[in-house]
Amino acid sequence: MSKVDTRSDRALRTSSRPIVGNRVLLTLLIIALASVAFLPFATLSPNRLVSGQAVMLWQACRPWQWIALAALGALLLVSAAGRPLAARPACRVALLTSLPLIALLLISLGDYAHRALSDASPAARVSQSASFWVLLFVGALVAVDALQRLRLGLVPRLGFALVAVVLVAVCLASDLLSGLSIMREFANQRANFLDQLVRHLVLVAGALIPALLVGLPLGLLARRREAWRSGLFSVLNVFQTLPSIAVFGLLIAPLAALARAVPWLAELGIGGIGLAPAIIALVIYSLLPIVRNTYAGLAGVPAGTLEAARGMGMTPTQILWRVEVPLALPVILSGLRIVTVQAIGLAVVAALIGAGGFGAFIFQGLGQYAIDLVLLGAIPTIVMAVIADFILQILVSLSRPAGTR
Amino acid sequence: MIELKGLTKRYAGKSVVDDISLTLEDGEFGVLIGPSGCGKSTTLKMINRLIPASGGQILLNGDDVADLPVEQLRRRIGYAIQSTGLFPHWDVARNIATVPQLLKWPKSRIDDRVDELMALFHLDPAEFRGKYPHQLSGGQAQRVGVARALAADPEVLLMDEPFGAVDPLTREVLQAEMKRVHQQTGKTIVFVTHDMDEALSLATRIALLNQGRLVQYDRPIELMVEPADDFVREFIGQADLGLKLLSRRWVHQYQREARLQQTETLDSLHAHGWLIDDQGRPSALAGARLDDADAITRVKPEWIATPEMSMKEALSRMVWYRVMVLPVVDDAGKLIGEVGMQGVMGMQDEPEGALS
Repeated sequence: MSKVDTRSDRALRTSSRPIVGNRVLLTLLIIALASVAFLPFATLSPNRLVSGQAVMLWQACRPWQWIALAALGALLLVSAAGRPLAARPACRVALLTSLPLIALLLISLGDYAHRALSDASPAARVSQSASFWVLLFVGALVAVDALQRLRLGLVPRLGFALVAVVLVAVCLASDLLSGLSIMREFANQRANFLDQLVRHLVLVAGALIPALLVGLPLGLLARRREAWRSGLFSVLNVFQTLPSIAVFGLLIAPLAALARAVPWLAELGIGGIGLAPAIIALVIYSLLPIVRNTYAGLAGVPAGTLEAARGMGMTPTQILWRVEVPLALPVILSGLRIVTVQAIGLAVVAALIGAGGFGAFIFQGLGQYAIDLVLLGAIPTIVMAVIADFILQILVSLSRPAGTR
Repeated sequence: MIELKGLTKRYAGKSVVDDISLTLEDGEFGVLIGPSGCGKSTTLKMINRLIPASGGQILLNGDDVADLPVEQLRRRIGYAIQSTGLFPHWDVARNIATVPQLLKWPKSRIDDRVDELMALFHLDPAEFRGKYPHQLSGGQAQRVGVARALAADPEVLLMDEPFGAVDPLTREVLQAEMKRVHQQTGKTIVFVTHDMDEALSLATRIALLNQGRLVQYDRPIELMVEPADDFVREFIGQADLGLKLLSRRWVHQYQREARLQQTETLDSLHAHGWLIDDQGRPSALAGARLDDADAITRVKPEWIATPEMSMKEALSRMVWYRVMVLPVVDDAGKLIGEVGMQGVMGMQDEPEGALS
């Protein structure tokens, strides 16, 4: 990335810029163009279960949408070129083009769905298809690429993310996309959707909080008692290698037996299936990254710093909270970031043992062979993971001590 | 005052520090020196109990350090180490303020103390207060480390090879600064090094250790003139013993009156004289050049000696600039005397008179 930057900076001085200024952007444009030419943009099917007929982008769009899409594409092509724009203005153009591009895709698709369904049977469905996804990801990657090249500060990046989220939220809340098959599935599941969202969040939080409460002290212990470290990490490593479905299955028998033996536990809702085994399994998977990163963060504090802290008369507690924790925090939070994203993904599987969450839609959809119901579970899971990752990434960079940032 | 009485440290039955007894009076600059593994660092760290002693006693101004609560003891003792150990997440001011903050000084007193210490080490508070350790050069970081060790005005300052990791040029500057700080603050210092030149230039007392035992504890000159045994002789090094001796002697001990002259012609053969400007500063030297004994030469700034300069340095300048005498000036730059090659030889005959 920096190589490209310095090259275009130099090019600016000698006023002989290369023809291609941003190869990533050009590649993305070629991919987008190829997907428009060869892949369907949407499908139109007589009902939710049969596969439908492919609709290309140019068949789905109205003329003005066509022209607008082409114009945005042309803007991106200009900013990918080395001339006439310099590197930074070109990145700004690309960044500002990405959001209208995404909005226009949603508008075109939603608009097509309304038009196509107005003269079709009530059971007919319109779904987004391959080229829509490709264009959507191209739009997102254009924004990510431009953000990285511009090396913007925290506030502009946050602002851009906020605008993007609001934009998508407005599209979802309005009537715009209501014709789409996935939104019809959503309408059918509206009440259920919120329940499962909460269930999913409960699963993730229910896993992370105990994992932190156990993992942080274990990481500290591994640091303080080097002799125990290898044993501890061996055990946690074994946990990590167990297949998740196997763990969910393995927990059914002992927990069911436990609930039978101790009735008050059963009354609390603990049993062989449901939340309890799901949370236990998620905690087990979350432990290793938390313990490992806590240990690594603490072990990364320079020995001289610790010696000086002791030599100047800090108590062990003062050393822990004033020196070790602040210096280890970025590494510990990186571990939390890994674990959070992992837990959001693994919680999907927990639906198999009746713990609910977005996984419920996915397995239901798989059973019915209704792909849009699968997507109704998958897309929110992905969005949740991306948002969590973004937030924790910001926390990590904020936690980096000023002196080392 | 620090007293070590029969201090011993054993690891798995093997003594690394063996029955060391010595007394360091208030205001002394004590250096622990010896080959690697001689136990000098271990001895130092037993004073602030970073390493627990296996036997013997350490008295700090009469208090047995083993009887004091360990954190309280350490807050009474400054501690500076080779890697500086600065807290990377705190700026310079907060690093220096570490111990005063532990002692819960009021904020204004801490701020004043930080500024005072930064001034002592010639660090401009406006520029350096808010800097972080990674923004400092090695020499600056080491100064901050020593300033931090001095922050709460400790009774003793312990320094564990503090200048071992900086380049030779910076080390010399830091040594000179340490000497000045010692003179200005009158602190009792215990300093560990393996560099004999460093020890000779800084110490008022040197404890030479070998294999955990104290071989000789004396003033630097006595260590050179009356070595206890062959080990001491060998460790000090015989080849440049004369120069080492001169590193402990000062220009003011050898200084003699300078002969002034008014005109730029030599009064007599093989004599020399100084020309001064209207402020009394030496401007030119008539004669006394090795290559051209009759020449009149402008005085170069590099020639000028001060009364506090070591004779080793003065001699080195004479040799390098090929002059037989150097002008000695006071703080204002006024000529107050001269020091010459012949003087160096003269003192050599009567070493007792030069003991410092």
